[in-house]
Amino acid sequence: MNIKTAFFLAFTSLKRGNKGTLAMTILIMTLAYINIVFISSVFGGIVDAINTQSIDNQYSNIVIEPEIDEKYITNTRAINSIKTIPGVIGVSAHYIDKPFVKYDERKDNKDVKTGNWVLKSIDVADEKKVTKIHEAIVAGSYLEDNDRDQIIIGREVAGNYGGSLRHLSLNVLIGDEIDLSFKNGIKRTYTVKGIFGTKSTSVDQMLFITKKEMESVLNVHNLASEVLIKIEDTGNEDYYINEIRHLGLVHEDIKKWSDLMGFTSSASMSFAMISIILGVIGTIVAGVTIFIIIFVSVVNKRRQIGILKAIGMGDNTIILYFVIQALFYGIVGVILGASFILFVLRPYFMSNPLDFPVGWVSLKVTFDIIRISNISLITAALIGGFFPAYRGAKESILKSIWG
Amino acid sequence: MIIEVKNLKKTYEGKVPTHALKNINFNIKKGEFIALMGRSGSGKSTLLHQLGLLDRPSAGKIMIDGTNLMSFSKEQGSKFRLEKLGYVFQSYALLPELTALESVYLPLMLSNIDKKIYIKTASEMLKKVGLGNKLHNLPRELSGGEQQRVAIARALVNNPIILFADEPTANLDSESSKVILELFKKLNKEINQTIIMVTHEPDDKKYVDRVIWLKDGEIQEED
Repeated sequence: MNIKTAFFLAFTSLKRGNKGTLAMTILIMTLAYINIVFISSVFGGIVDAINTQSIDNQYSNIVIEPEIDEKYITNTRAINSIKTIPGVIGVSAHYIDKPFVKYDERKDNKDVKTGNWVLKSIDVADEKKVTKIHEAIVAGSYLEDNDRDQIIIGREVAGNYGGSLRHLSLNVLIGDEIDLSFKNGIKRTYTVKGIFGTKSTSVDQMLFITKKEMESVLNVHNLASEVLIKIEDTGNEDYYINEIRHLGLVHEDIKKWSDLMGFTSSASMSFAMISIILGVIGTIVAGVTIFIIIFVSVVNKRRQIGILKAIGMGDNTIILYFVIQALFYGIVGVILGASFILFVLRPYFMSNPLDFPVGWVSLKVTFDIIRISNISLITAALIGGFFPAYRGAKESILKSIWG
Repeated sequence: MIIEVKNLKKTYEGKVPTHALKNINFNIKKGEFIALMGRSGSGKSTLLHQLGLLDRPSAGKIMIDGTNLMSFSKEQGSKFRLEKLGYVFQSYALLPELTALESVYLPLMLSNIDKKIYIKTASEMLKKVGLGNKLHNLPRELSGGEQQRVAIARALVNNPIILFADEPTANLDSESSKVILELFKKLNKEINQTIIMVTHEPDDKKYVDRVIWLKDGEIQEED
């Protein structure tokens, strides 16, 4: 095989051949590459948004629940010590109840709106360290430590602030009073202080009161129905869980956020699967496109191939001559496509993220996506270029020249 | 002898086998300018293809410069064609993207010769065929006769022991044809180049040393 001659012929052909065909081929390769990376990155962005929502507003990084058959976590000393683990940003203990909620707008027992929603209590300062609900207030204001008859509710409960379950809501506004009947039989009235709207429907169906208020209702002190823990390095939860166990929380149920995802976890896997399927289809389309382009080129140059063989060029050099052209289309497509993704699309979507029900979605262009897409497109170009070149090169000299 | 042909046969298989060459025997001496002539279908091009290693005979033996071509593998055949043989085809057979100079130095490049040397050698060869002022012209910028002279320069640049020409003037006007044939004659006389040319033009006889007449796949006569 004469590599130098193959390169010479390939680049002379690219340089002096039809510029329109060259531009069109490179454009197709670039679009094929963008297609593969864009789809994967959008799905990656959606999964990221789902995960971010869950961490920021629902589970934080780690959730501790009571041991089986226990209502509360009682090892207060250990819970208080979690804050001392290096890397822990915040710890927030919740009490949880599911009261019957009633709103009687005219106080006449007519047209009364009711429902059962999850009520959690928070220590305001602690909660601000582990979730971002305080940043998601859409009306009114967030709780303060001394609030006793005040409540903040999610927009799916309130019903007037863009929720998707308005037909099930209380239809209340800031300042309205709602009645809560707790599981232990105690009834209290709260004024709606704030309404929050995250991008998580399940969080937006919750209500929050202060820890002091909940302890007075439940008649408990310094216990917790669940504890959320925020760490500085998401992804390293297993290490912290191990550290937490060492503090004496041996029998408690400790989970990381990803274990609690349920539906969203299976949705993430489905997105990953769709992304792979579309990526494979995109790669095959790119490979077939290269195949057709090289096939047409080989057919058009059939006589030239015969002449090259007649003057002594080996089959492998001829194959390499066409494969280099195919690789050139693939590599230029990858370079232009990657540049467009990294320097145009990615910055654009970072500035203008897509508004999905799960959150603000930007492109998640990872090194893995780029690497796999590069390999896929160049391999497709290699295979797509090789087969027509092989077929053309293996034809007999006389058949190539005279048909 | 530069070429020795013994009992050469070429049969195209099929429902009805076609015997294109039947028991051909002849010898060619070094420096001879030979014309293969005959009617259409007489087997003259087929014979040229067998001699030039462009096709494989069904039976018989071809010796070129003492080498038995019948024993060659495909790769050995390519190497032999590159190093020992030169071809000029009926239509100019140039690559449209290569300049005259690039077309001519392509065989030298394939032979892994140093770049400076192959550019110099190819330039000199183009000057020899009268195209020293058109080194960087693409085929579309050359006339038919000029393109054929580029093809001749390419065929000769590796100093082949035999130059094969398959109706090299068939697509040219009479003036260009004359230029090409006189160039062949000149090469034959000046550098003792062995040339085997297929032609159907009776007038071309005056340029050659000997004519081998073929009819129905057999040598009819030599004169």
